[in-house]
Amino acid sequence: MRAFDYTRPGAVDAAIATHARANSAYLAGGTTLLDLAKINIMQPDQVVDINGLGLDRIERLKDGRVQVGALVTNTALARHELIETHYPVLSQALLSGASTQLRNKATTAGNVMQRVRCPYFRDGTSPCNKRDPGSGCAAIGGVNRETFAVLGTSDQCIAAHPSDMCVAMAAIGATVSVMGPNGPRDIPFDAFHLLPGTSPAREHALEPDELITHVTLDAPPGGARSGYLKLRDRASYQFALASCAAQLSVEGGVIRAPRIALGGVATKPWRATDAERMLDGKVPSRALFEQAASAAFNGATAYEHNAFKIPLGRHAIIAELGALTGLETMQEVS
Amino acid sequence: MTEHFDPGTQQDETASTSRRHFLKTVGASGVAAASVPLWGPAAQARAADDPPPRSDAPRQGLSRIRLNINGHLHTVDIAPQMVLLDVLRNESGLTGTKKGCDHGQCGACTVLVNGQAINSCLSLAISHQTDEITTIEGLEHNGELHPVQAAFWEHDAFQCGYCTSGQIMSAVALLNDKQMGESDAAVREAMSGNICRCGAYRNILAAVQDARQVMKGGA
Amino acid sequence: MSDQTLGAGPKRIDGRLKVTGQATYTADHQLDNKAHAYGVFSTISRGRITGLALEVARNMPGVIEIFHHGNFPALHHTPSSMAGGNKVEETRLPFEDERIYYDGQFVALVVAERFDQARAAAQAVTVRYEEETPRANLEQGLTAHGTREGKGNHSRGNAKQAFESGTHRMEATYTTPVETHNPMEMHATLAHWPNGRLQVFESSQGVVQQKGAMAKIFNLAPHKVEVISTFIGSGFGSKLWMWPHAVAAAAASREIGRPVELVVPRSQMFTTTGHRPETKQTLKLATDEQGRLVALSHHSISNTSCTDQYVETCGSVTKSLYSCDNVSVDHRTTQVNRGTPTSMRAPGAAPGLFALESAVDEMALAAGIDPLTFRLDQFADRDESQDLPFSSNHIRETAERAAERFGWHQRNPKIKSMREGREIIGYGMAACNWEALKRPCDAHVALRADGTVYASCATQDIGTGTYTIVAQTLVELTGVPFERIEVELGDTSYPKGPISGGSWTTATTLPAIAEATRHAIMELKTRAVRSGGPFDGVDVASLNFENGVLSHNGKQMSFAEVLSSMKLANAEGDAHTEGADTSKYSYRSFGTHFVEVRWDPLLANLRVARVVSAIDVGRVMNEKTARNQVEGAIVMGLGMAMFEHTEYDPRTARVVNNNYAEYLVPVHADQPEIDVILLDYPDTAFNEFGARGIGEIGITGLAAAVANAVYHATGIRVRDLPITKERLMAGA
Ligand SMILES: Cc1cc2nc3c(=O)[nH]c(=O)nc-3n(C[C@H](O)[C@H](O)[C@H](O)COP(=O)(O)OP(=O)(O)OC[C@H]3O[C@@H](n4cnc5c(N)ncnc54)[C@H](O)[C@@H]3O)c2cc1C
Ligand code: SF4
Ligand code: FES
Ligand code: FES
Repeated sequence: MRAFDYTRPGAVDAAIATHARANSAYLAGGTTLLDLAKINIMQPDQVVDINGLGLDRIERLKDGRVQVGALVTNTALARHELIETHYPVLSQALLSGASTQLRNKATTAGNVMQRVRCPYFRDGTSPCNKRDPGSGCAAIGGVNRETFAVLGTSDQCIAAHPSDMCVAMAAIGATVSVMGPNGPRDIPFDAFHLLPGTSPAREHALEPDELITHVTLDAPPGGARSGYLKLRDRASYQFALASCAAQLSVEGGVIRAPRIALGGVATKPWRATDAERMLDGKVPSRALFEQAASAAFNGATAYEHNAFKIPLGRHAIIAELGALTGLETMQEVS
Repeated sequence: MTEHFDPGTQQDETASTSRRHFLKTVGASGVAAASVPLWGPAAQARAADDPPPRSDAPRQGLSRIRLNINGHLHTVDIAPQMVLLDVLRNESGLTGTKKGCDHGQCGACTVLVNGQAINSCLSLAISHQTDEITTIEGLEHNGELHPVQAAFWEHDAFQCGYCTSGQIMSAVALLNDKQMGESDAAVREAMSGNICRCGAYRNILAAVQDARQVMKGGA
Repeated sequence: MSDQTLGAGPKRIDGRLKVTGQATYTADHQLDNKAHAYGVFSTISRGRITGLALEVARNMPGVIEIFHHGNFPALHHTPSSMAGGNKVEETRLPFEDERIYYDGQFVALVVAERFDQARAAAQAVTVRYEEETPRANLEQGLTAHGTREGKGNHSRGNAKQAFESGTHRMEATYTTPVETHNPMEMHATLAHWPNGRLQVFESSQGVVQQKGAMAKIFNLAPHKVEVISTFIGSGFGSKLWMWPHAVAAAAASREIGRPVELVVPRSQMFTTTGHRPETKQTLKLATDEQGRLVALSHHSISNTSCTDQYVETCGSVTKSLYSCDNVSVDHRTTQVNRGTPTSMRAPGAAPGLFALESAVDEMALAAGIDPLTFRLDQFADRDESQDLPFSSNHIRETAERAAERFGWHQRNPKIKSMREGREIIGYGMAACNWEALKRPCDAHVALRADGTVYASCATQDIGTGTYTIVAQTLVELTGVPFERIEVELGDTSYPKGPISGGSWTTATTLPAIAEATRHAIMELKTRAVRSGGPFDGVDVASLNFENGVLSHNGKQMSFAEVLSSMKLANAEGDAHTEGADTSKYSYRSFGTHFVEVRWDPLLANLRVARVVSAIDVGRVMNEKTARNQVEGAIVMGLGMAMFEHTEYDPRTARVVNNNYAEYLVPVHADQPEIDVILLDYPDTAFNEFGARGIGEIGITGLAAAVANAVYHATGIRVRDLPITKERLMAGA
């Protein structure tokens, strides 16, 4: 960890201006930044503490959407009445992540911006296109079980996006509001995280010095139910091996407005749009869910140790859809 | 280890008996702290000589800040990149808070900030100047153990004791939090950020649930 | 104070210190002028250093000195003998030359004013290497080096022939991965040289051995070295023997003339402080028509390092657990580019019983016999490997009582037959077993004029409760309550005590403490009857000592009054006790685990729901701490069964999951319902208190019980640990 300067501005403009003056990092909860700074993976010369910006409120907008301040902690968000009532999927996803202590510090924007948990990225020396563009990807052909993706990978990077919260947001639909040197702009949540493609070092749509100010959640359709299922090895305090966030309603016996997103299996919070199309307007059934689950993994690529994530991800979808539609009688999954 | 004292706040600091209690020094002769009796009639840890008041300026690159720890103001000279855990342990002499991983992966470093449990290894000390920080050293009241401490002792909720400070701090936060579930399963989940490699989970759970009753005034 | 005597379950005497954060672990000691060290660790696993760029680091704030093979002082090797009291596992010294043998080897050490400065500078050192192809795992080691002779082999009868002619046969290979101890407290050394003497605070399970090794390495007279480990954040074997960091810290301190603190970062606790090696074990069992074992062969290979030989004796229990005329146990090693392995909780037996007790289950099923019945019928009644009777063996009772409590008889033996909702339930069992050892030990006890009793011994309390049971022993023999007892452990200035390992601390230390106590009481009496003493002229033999009071013919005086009346500070006793006589008996501890697993096929989730274990460890000295030990070992066994696995990149031999987030150990939410039955039959042939040891036995057999339960639930026989979900998922 290199020495750095610390400032704590009191206004958004000042934060952005300060950030622009040096090789900087915004400090929210610090649970990603300090973790990585200690092992020299992130090396800011200046840390701009944004906890004094007053961005810690949750508000319901007139159009029914809910605006979440960038600095709202994961704990506060998970427990907020609006979230518990209208977005159970988000509350559950947040509470399944990390630990009580980490959630007390981790923030909404920080969670959106968290970095991959690929051990080769973290070791500081292995070939890693994300850390050191053009150096290669040690994970391919290496040990690649827990924190690696089967969807959205490229031959340049296969690290899974680690967030639980973001998977729920992808299912809900959201907008990321940012402020930068050139003023404010909105980025659709689906467009915020980038696929690794040929430039894995570029992870998101932020321009230099831009600051996330809010994440605004789409209003859920009337009658929507939602939930999050996270599968892992140990019962807690582990990143998802596979997870499924789902939101849908059932009207007149058929599924309406299904939204499904996957975690732990993809290089970004992953909308399973093929699966959604397959479910829309259909009568819930075990067979339908299996079809949708299969569709979600069309084109998936397995690596040496993570092939099991394809069936595991399917299990997550089938089980979560079953839970949301009351089809709990399922036994074995083919 | 020299203690850094600001003449302006010396009153606060030296008045703290709990602070005196935890200071342990090894004399110049090299006699080990281990030769201080561990318990029994002569069991009080040896208090340090009062450190000299400081009127010097902080060294280059360091900022002098004040932290409110366990109700006492501590003046420390720190660099911005220093995390709360290292400052507590190395600058404030509060070694009850432990380092088990330094990366938010074990919970040994858990302290309370404004009543909430956090990992002090992933938090900059400099960002806590307006906060109330509580460490394991701050739980005792007039020599009486906090109900969670007493329950941990009673239920043998530890072996080596290294995770214990963190476990106790998490438990205190949990029991003071009305929104936390009270079932065994809820406690197990909420306490999962505190690894006990000795595997004393069964007794930890018993201690937490027992302390809950005591704190409710039940037992 | 009967609730504080041996066998009761008093609260720990050091409990207040632990719940208030006042127990001082190594890095908690505050020394004036302390400097902090941080290592630069090798990022290759085999080759040599060709260059070190230190300028940037040297000029960073706070940096005092940087050590490496070019400037590290010349030191000596320790003969590394346990009997000589100077054993280490890795004999090579840090910075000895430019050779690299494993990932994470120390290549430089930065010493700075503050911890963050030392770390920053260490990160700024760049190292150039000439890399050679490393041997990254057991298979690569075998291909490159073949195998070496191990130790602890055994043969009786003709296992090969008997196997060929058996009626029912099973043959299978089991593997266990590298596991890392990961005690909660990271390895740490705080060293300084007051007046030319070396004083080291170390997180150590064996201060006496470390002192001896340090004396050899630094060429010092033994009395010039003191090693202190008052409290240790556990070790599970990794802290039995000193590792290179301790030498590095001590040398650095001598060179810079200041105290140096070196805490091994968590990532390097996977490389340079030992590990449980990878094993590959082939089991061949055969029975006759009635299902009686006629052949038992257990051959294993484990990895060692390229610098030292460490043998994981997987077949240690196989020799004596079952009655069988034809047995073959063989251990071999192969060299790989990893740091040197070392004992981890129940070395040999933990991986060995995974294989043996899985194989016995497979054998029982092949012979069509209930696994419990099969075992009950064939547990050995005497140690056939040594041809000695067991000093005390109640394994059948452990199996029967645990089976009863668990509800084994409600088991439907058919695979996948027991369900609840979506979950499939599996029941499994396995025996557990561990040797009982007792070593020589010294101790000191004093009855003091202030009415307190004091004891000291250079053994350690690593969390097992040694402080407390020593105090209980004093209560038992003097009648003085905890409030007036002081115990000091973990310092080589006290009389020589044993390492805290092998589950032998209790059996070794308590007899010495007891003997020293009796000597102190005798000293008190002898003084009291001298002329001018309060019992002047009384025959020593007729003087009574009870509850801290000397009495004779109605005259009573507390020992404090006796000592005060004679202006004496204390009456002291020293003792030396010998190890157990192993010529008449075989000393072992026994037990049985029953495990219920639940497999949810929809969620592909396996969990251990319930464990019932009955354990026969002789007399239970402290109900609370003993139960805690077994429960903790079960939790660790669960980790071994389901999660733990140190992963090495097959191309570079570097540890991949070198942290607490990716090396998974059980968290609180994984905790099953655990029910431990302690049999409590004193083994008085072993020592006067009848106590064996309880630290390790609980982990043995647990992984096999889980694997056997998993087979019952799923029909899948997992022979390779850990039992991850992909091994159980159809189509994965
Ligand atoms: C041991 C461990 C286990 C974990 N397990 C999980 C898990 O199971 N599930 C899960 O989802 N997560 C998990 N996490 C990750 C955790 O959720 C993130 O570390 C956390 O959400 C990051 O939030 P923060 O506020 O602390 O971010 P910070 O560390 O403060 O910031 C992270 C990054 O975002 C940037 N940043 C912060 N705020 C802004 C802003 N407003 N605008 C622009 N940039 C910004 C920072 O500069 C930095 O680069 C785990 C973390 C740890 C250490
Ligand atoms: S998977 Fe991505 S992050 Fe990991 S080594 Fe490859 S490029 Fe780097
Ligand atoms: S030391 Fe902070 S979580 Fe481990
Ligand atoms: S008591 Fe040792 S880690 Fe919990």
